[in-house]
Amino acid sequence: MTHDTSSTRATRGEAPAGWVLERHAHGRLVFVAADGARHDDVDVLRAFPVSAAQGPVAIVGADGGELAWIDALASVAAPLRTILEQELAEREFLPVIERIEAIADSEPAEWTVSTDRGPHRFKVAHADDVVRQPDGAVFITDTDGMRYLVPRFDALDAESRRLLDSVE
Amino acid sequence: MTGTPSARSAAPLNALPWNSGISLAAGETVLASCRFDLDGKLRFTDGWIVLTDRRLIADEPASADGIGATGPRSWPLDADAHIDVRLRAAVGRIELSRQGRVVARWLFTPARAKGVHALEDAFDARSALLRDRETAGRPARGGRKPEPAPTAEESQPAASGRGDDDFPPPAAGAASWRALMRVISFARPHAGMAILGGVLSLASTTAALVPPYLTMPLVDQVLIPKQNGVAVPFSQVWWYLGGLTFAAVAAWLLSWAQTWTLAWVSERIAAGLRTRTYAHMQSLSLDFFQSKRTGDLMSRVGSDTDKINIFLSVNLIEFASNVMLLVLTAAVLVWLNPTLALLTLVPFPFVVWLVYAVRERLRRGFSRASVAWGDMTSVLADTIPGIRVVKAFAQESREIDRFVAANDRVLDANDRVNVIWSFCGPLFALFSEVGLLVVWAAGAWLVFGGAVTVGGLTAFLAYIARFYGRVESMIRMVPATQRAAASAQRIFEILDCRPTVAEAARPVRPERIAGRIEVMNVHFRYGAREVLHGVNLTIEPGEMIGLVGTSGSGKSTLANLICRFYDPSSGSIRVDGVDLRDMAIADYRRNLGCVLQEPFLFFGTIAENIAYGRPDAPRERIVEAARAAGAHDFILSQPLAYDTRVGERGGSLSGGERQRLSIARALLVDPRILVLDEATSAVDVETEAIIQAAIDRLVVGRTTIAIAHRLSTLRRANRLVVLDAGRIVEIGTHDELLSADGAYARLYRAQLKATEEAAAASA
Repeated sequence: MTHDTSSTRATRGEAPAGWVLERHAHGRLVFVAADGARHDDVDVLRAFPVSAAQGPVAIVGADGGELAWIDALASVAAPLRTILEQELAEREFLPVIERIEAIADSEPAEWTVSTDRGPHRFKVAHADDVVRQPDGAVFITDTDGMRYLVPRFDALDAESRRLLDSVE
Repeated sequence: MTGTPSARSAAPLNALPWNSGISLAAGETVLASCRFDLDGKLRFTDGWIVLTDRRLIADEPASADGIGATGPRSWPLDADAHIDVRLRAAVGRIELSRQGRVVARWLFTPARAKGVHALEDAFDARSALLRDRETAGRPARGGRKPEPAPTAEESQPAASGRGDDDFPPPAAGAASWRALMRVISFARPHAGMAILGGVLSLASTTAALVPPYLTMPLVDQVLIPKQNGVAVPFSQVWWYLGGLTFAAVAAWLLSWAQTWTLAWVSERIAAGLRTRTYAHMQSLSLDFFQSKRTGDLMSRVGSDTDKINIFLSVNLIEFASNVMLLVLTAAVLVWLNPTLALLTLVPFPFVVWLVYAVRERLRRGFSRASVAWGDMTSVLADTIPGIRVVKAFAQESREIDRFVAANDRVLDANDRVNVIWSFCGPLFALFSEVGLLVVWAAGAWLVFGGAVTVGGLTAFLAYIARFYGRVESMIRMVPATQRAAASAQRIFEILDCRPTVAEAARPVRPERIAGRIEVMNVHFRYGAREVLHGVNLTIEPGEMIGLVGTSGSGKSTLANLICRFYDPSSGSIRVDGVDLRDMAIADYRRNLGCVLQEPFLFFGTIAENIAYGRPDAPRERIVEAARAAGAHDFILSQPLAYDTRVGERGGSLSGGERQRLSIARALLVDPRILVLDEATSAVDVETEAIIQAAIDRLVVGRTTIAIAHRLSTLRRANRLVVLDAGRIVEIGTHDELLSADGAYARLYRAQLKATEEAAAASA
């Protein structure tokens, strides 16, 4: 299952604004600003990961300072876009719940689910941690801060819907 | 989550925690182990990483040098080996590097973070030991990044107004019925369903009266003739049984439909009451909230409307069907036999008298119980937001006592009403027993005289049992009615409050104002105390005014008047030449921005909080406002950036961060008039500098009224206005006022001295 991705991954992308993003061994990112300043180990994140998942993306240095801002990934050309997307995919690890097997009546409630990443078990502290979006998506945050997505409530099977309803 | 063995140097393990196919060398000890749960494709997996005194043994990493081999592997460790652990958002990485090169990487979710950090600690301890032993004097390597410490949580006690409950006094007597009739008026939008419910009540009541009527001919024309030897075909019995069954089923179906219909209507009446009460509360002026306790208002909107709902859906249905049954039964009784019917009604006057006697007492009792309940909720609404103070001063037991005392008052109030109505029920049972006795006696006498048949008497007694049953349940209604009446009164007390800051009859609707403010001979009173004695001030558009003065000098009052949270007692405030009282309140406030000492964040995302004044603002504007307020970087560091939830529960932001969010909120509405009320006084000097820079960007081109205790924060003000005891004593620039050597100069020197003394003390 393990595969060495470094050969298949893009390693260097330049933005029209003049800055460069480089991928080093084992996924580390280096940002080279237009003036040549290097920032090691930078982070790529979405500014609105929930409400506008395809919206703006920020590149942030290890100290938390903003280095670059991209209004929409769609406007970025490969290979930079590939690097950004790969990085975001890892950062925004968001298992999609396909089926809820059980929600134990404990405190906090323990959920047993099937996800697109395999079966999993986690704990949810409060009903507020299950958030329904207007478009029918449901976001669940566990006690460790991990998030899970149900893309469409209506698409779940009846038993999963019943279980999900019971916690809200 | 799982029992992850952590580093235990005291009792080293000498076996691996899982069957890896790798065996330990003689004398090799396990120092620590942890589990990881993601593979290279970010699928859930379960794998082990074990640290021994000489190597690292682990299941398949997400990526590694010299790939090709699958299954568990091991990496020899020397003093040059290094482990780096990072957790960003949902995925953590463990990187093993040797000679400065990363050689393997594992991924894990936050659930495994604790075990991973324990392994990392054990690794670092081992490295340190190794370095000491080698005495090679290698410099310590980069080391691990400290885990991001949660920022200080600045909890915000929600403003809970304290003071006298000055609702209009409840009117006594018939008021309870008037209050209930007003509740019924909320049914108007659902009149159709309400009428349907009434018709169904009538129908189901009538259906319930049929069975006793059928028993009369069953006894007189079938059973008694049969007993006396007359040949009666059994099919006649079937006839009557069929009729009885049909009546029972019809009564059941009708009462089902009736219960559901009326419950539907009452649920909507209660919801309408709640919305009306809450919406009305939002329209009330600030002084209303300052004089009320939060918990009391919450219990009025929540629990009192619920009591009314229960009354309408359960008790009122019962009452309506009881009244109808009583009237119909009485009619049937009179029709069957007027003499017996008259005798039946003998105990009735006593019942009426009883109801009358206890009614008012019960209403007062229930009203007391509701007040006690509101007090108890107030204790909760007080202490839960202030829990940090409670814990800091170790006053938990005192707060428990306070709650127990409030709870005891609820208990006491409930006990008192229970005494009254528990006395009434059995008393009435006695009345009905006496009534039945009278009817049996008179009935037997009439049967002997031949005036009444046995079947007639049977039916009569069946009706009487029903009659008294209804009267009894009507008695039980009395407390329920009074409870609902008391609740309805508490709701209408809110609905009857008029906002003191009222909308003009024909308001001027400003679009975008210029921001010229004229304060003309303004007086203001809080109750009997006058806090502003004739203030005159003109502020030009775009000018920044600093309000200076000791506490109690009237600075905040003046700012509140300019926000139109209150109206002046006399005099007037004009904006762009229009009296504020003639301006549409909402339109005026759209031109107004406020940054207060205690920034309040609502439960919601950061983006929603910034866009509070402009819910439809595009994301670019939100980000722009956050950047200008110096909040952008720390927002990006939150787990979900702009979509991170903050507020009551998730409030992990520091005071300075909250303040910057509230500045971004004010920036986003792009106000023409800006009020800064001690915006920087709650934060440290360093944060103040950041906030001050954000404020400097905020004030440009806007009419600004800034109140600050620290005079240094008013350096950009065009003019300083010095207030003392409700009067303006000086106006001028900083330099002018210093050279005038008046009140401002005294304040300034006192502050300067305090700052110098503090500096000297710390040096």
